[in-house]
Formats: sequence, C-alpha cells, structure tokens
Amino acid sequence: MSGAAARSRKDLSERTLAFLLLAPAAILLALIVVYPIADLVYSSFFTIQLAQPWLGEPFVGFDNYVHAFGDERFWLAVVHTAIYAVVTVPGALVLGLGLALLANLPFKRKWPVRLGLLLPWALPLVFAGLIFRWFFEYQQGLVNDVLTRFGIEPVAWLTDPRLAMGAICVAILWKTSSFMALMLLAGLQTIPKSLYEAAEVDGASTWQQFVEITLPMLRPAIFVALIFRTITAIQTFDIPYAMTGGGPGESTETLAMYIHKTTLDFLDFGYGSALATLMFVISMIATSVYLRQTRRSAGRGAD
Amino acid sequence: MLPKRRVVVWIAGAIVAINGFFPAVWILFTSLKTESELMQFPITYLPAAPTLANYYQAFTEQPLPRFLFNSFVVATLSTALCVLVSALAAYALTRLRVPRRNLIMAALMGVAMFPLISLMVPLFKLMRELGLLNTYLALILPYAVLSMPVCTLVMASFFQEIPPDLEAAAMIDGCSRVGALFKVVIPLSAPGVFTAAILAFVNAWDEFLLALTMMNRASMRTLSVGITLYQGEYAFPWPLISAALIVAIVPISLLIAVFQERVVGGLTAGGVKG
Repeated sequence: MSGAAARSRKDLSERTLAFLLLAPAAILLALIVVYPIADLVYSSFFTIQLAQPWLGEPFVGFDNYVHAFGDERFWLAVVHTAIYAVVTVPGALVLGLGLALLANLPFKRKWPVRLGLLLPWALPLVFAGLIFRWFFEYQQGLVNDVLTRFGIEPVAWLTDPRLAMGAICVAILWKTSSFMALMLLAGLQTIPKSLYEAAEVDGASTWQQFVEITLPMLRPAIFVALIFRTITAIQTFDIPYAMTGGGPGESTETLAMYIHKTTLDFLDFGYGSALATLMFVISMIATSVYLRQTRRSAGRGAD
Repeated sequence: MLPKRRVVVWIAGAIVAINGFFPAVWILFTSLKTESELMQFPITYLPAAPTLANYYQAFTEQPLPRFLFNSFVVATLSTALCVLVSALAAYALTRLRVPRRNLIMAALMGVAMFPLISLMVPLFKLMRELGLLNTYLALILPYAVLSMPVCTLVMASFFQEIPPDLEAAAMIDGCSRVGALFKVVIPLSAPGVFTAAILAFVNAWDEFLLALTMMNRASMRTLSVGITLYQGEYAFPWPLISAALIVAIVPISLLIAVFQERVVGGLTAGGVKG
C-alpha cells in the first residue's frame, strides 16, 4: 500500500470508521429485531387470519387486546406462566446457591464439578424436557420406581394437571439451577479469602460466616441472577412443550405456548401478534430492571 | 487437610457431578436396553444385555445424519456471521470514540433478553414473504443476531486488554485501522474470539422455537426439533428416543468438555446468556 493511500485511510475520521464498523450489526438488528417488532405491534391492530384469506386484513383497533382480556385460555396461560416463575425463580436460586457453595470447595480435580455444572446448561431445553418426561413416566419411569421401592403407590405424574405442573417445575429447576450456580460461583470467587480467615480467628461458625459474609457479598450477583431467571421464566416454552405439550387439556400451557398455538396452529396472526406484544411489554419491563441492576453492580465492581 | 474435611469435599463434588451427569447417564442406559427389557417390572437400572439396535433404528427411522448435518451447517454459519459482525462492533465500541456508547451497550443487553416468542411471530411472516422458510438462512440470520450481544460483550472485554501501543505500532508500519484490527487486535484476543464462537455455537445448536417454526420440511429439521419426531401419536419408544438423544448430546458435550474453562469464563463475563 502506498504511503498516501495509507494516510488517507488513517485520515478517515474515527467517527466514520466507528459508524462503518457498527453498520453490519445495526443492519442485522434492524432486519431481525427492529422491523419484526414494529411489524408485530402494527399487526396486533388488524385481523389477520391466514386460514381465512377472504376476511381480508381489516383494521380493528384495540379489538385483539380487548379480546385477550375476555379470553379465559389466555388468563389461564398467564396464571400457569406465573406459577412456573413463582416456583422456579426462587427455587433455582436456592438450588443454584447450594450447588455454587458445593462447587466452590477446594477440589483436587476441578473438571467433574465444572462439567457437572456446564452439562445441564449445554443441553437443549427440549432434551431436558424429554429426559424428565421419561423420569416421570407412569410405568417405566425412574421416579415411580423409587416411590414403589419405598412402598408408595405409583403416581400418574403427567396426566394429573397439578402433578404435571410439579414435574415440569422439577425439570425447569434442574435445567436452570446449574447456570444460576455458575453465575453465583463467579460471585463467590470474588469474595476475598481474608474475610473468612478473619472471621475464623474471631471464632465465627460456618453458618455465621455464610450469613455475615457470603450472603451480603453475594447480593449483587444474586439479584442479577434472579432477574435473569425471571426474564427467562416469563418465556417458558420448550420444557412443558416436550413434557406435556400443554396438557392434559390446557392445564400446563404457558403464555408462550398459547401464542405459538394461536399463530402457527390456528393461524390467527392478528390475535397472536397482540398476545406477543403483551409478552414483549412484560419482558421489557423486567429487562429494564435487570439492566439498571447490572449497570449498578458493574459500577460497584469498578470501584 | 484433615481426612474428614477431605471426605466432605469429595462428597460435595460427587453431588454436583451426579446432579449434572445423571440424566444423561440414565438416557445412555435406556438407549442400550431392548424393548422387552424395558417392559420388565420392576424396572432394571443397568442394561441386562446391552444392544446397539436402538442406535441402528434411530439412524434408519428418521434422517438423523441429515438432522446432524443441518444443525452443524446452521450453527457453524451463524457462528461465523455472528463473530465477524460482533468483532467489528466490539472493536468500535472499545477502541473508537462512539457517541452514546453506554446506550448502545445497554440496548445490546436488552436485545439479549428479548422474548423469542414475540420475535417468532413476525419473523415467520418475514421469512415467508422473503421465501426463506425451509432454508438455512431462515435460522442463520436470527441465530447470528441473537448471539450478537453476548459475543460483542465477551470480545469487547478481551479487546480492552490489548495495549493501544501495539495497534499504534502496526499503524505506523503502514497498517490501516481495519488492518490493525485483523492483524493485531483479533489475533491477540484469540481466546476471546474463540469463547464468543463457542457460546454462539451452543446457542444455535440448542435453539428450538425458531427451528420448529421456520423449518417444517423433514429434511430441513435441525437436531433439537428432529429428536421430537421419534415419538408417535400415543407411543413413546423410549430406547429409540434415548439413542437419538445420545447421538445428539455427544457432539455438544465434547465441545463443552474440551473448552470448559473458556465457556465458564465467557458465560460469567457478561452475566448474560443469549
């Protein structure tokens, strides 16, 4: 390259170069995220029945949203999603914290523990759902086998609405607590060892050390992990899809599953868009809390 | 260390490892059992007469190699696209003066948290209009974008560590700024680029909802969706499903096992998951 050309390249203002480098990301985001979300909100104000094209696509204002408020199945799906969140968010935190504390001990060989935490994360959610469906199978499932060995009658886990929800929660807890543990483990490892050594000199018990040192120091990490899990819990789809398909009836169906059915099975894209918009708004509220908190804890880390 | 304490540590490790490995091990056992052994009561734990018949059937009943191939193509190409685009963005965000930098970073984190189901509805319409349903692009483009936030954050954290002097030296030697990015910054932060690539690959390999929606032709199904096709309307051939699951789990588990330290570092760097 000649010197003059090199100089002209270098003279390309920093702002222009930054703009050019950010452009591909911005174009992809515009195509895959911004335009679709705009289209989603726009479509939610129309009747779009792909199976009934003769209806045309008339503008119906807020009709789809009004319809949602009177739609029993929608509210049931909201309630189910809320139950999954209420059970599995704190549940995954407790289990994740337990796993993180165990994994934080001084091991000679680190890989079995690390891989034990990574494997549940790396497995697709549907696979976790399928495997737990197999665990909870009535006749050949491991869970009922263990119950029988303790003299307890086998239970129809996946065909009883309440038990099915319980079984799904167990699967979600297994799948999500490991990732939680990885996040909390990273937090645990930033706590200075000297704090514990000092506490030991003062004669503090292990439990006291946990309550007085570990928990307060871990608070930012716990908060971030909690909100993160909440956002993913709102979107629960794969595990109930694989375990019960939303059944029996619609008794384990989540909001995400109902949206999927409404659009791709019933081909009602207008109503489906309205539901998906509601989901989007709920998610964004949770995300803004998350972002505020991560920025705050990041700021604290930099101090 | 006291022996008693060593036992406690050993048990703690065993609990974590068993919790993670057990479901996969159980599926492995199931996959080696015959249909008749599965019907036994009480159930057996270890396979009495291990057989590979289920694996043979898993490959013949559904186009399993095709599912593997599809997943591999989609995951590899979306990862490549994602890493390239994210590297450019991460460079601009860390090494150049960008107005409203923090706002852009926050927006990226927001995208990482987007409910996929809300994107699924309009993306399906978009891909249908573009005639991209049942093509690899219908998954490659969204997957690249969905992993972009994580990849950008991970690479940005590595780019920050490269001393600016090195870059300046390259530019004095006649390198352009973009040249310096590809000849100095990226090679020096290879571990970061690699970590980002693994995360993007796993995200793409695991994704289910979009894969289910965009590909309805059997030959275009990816692994995560293809595995669910083994179930009949009422019957669940568990040994067969287990065999297919094992085939699907092995590649991603190997990847994770080989690069476990990188993956843990990458996952906890941004505190986000795509």
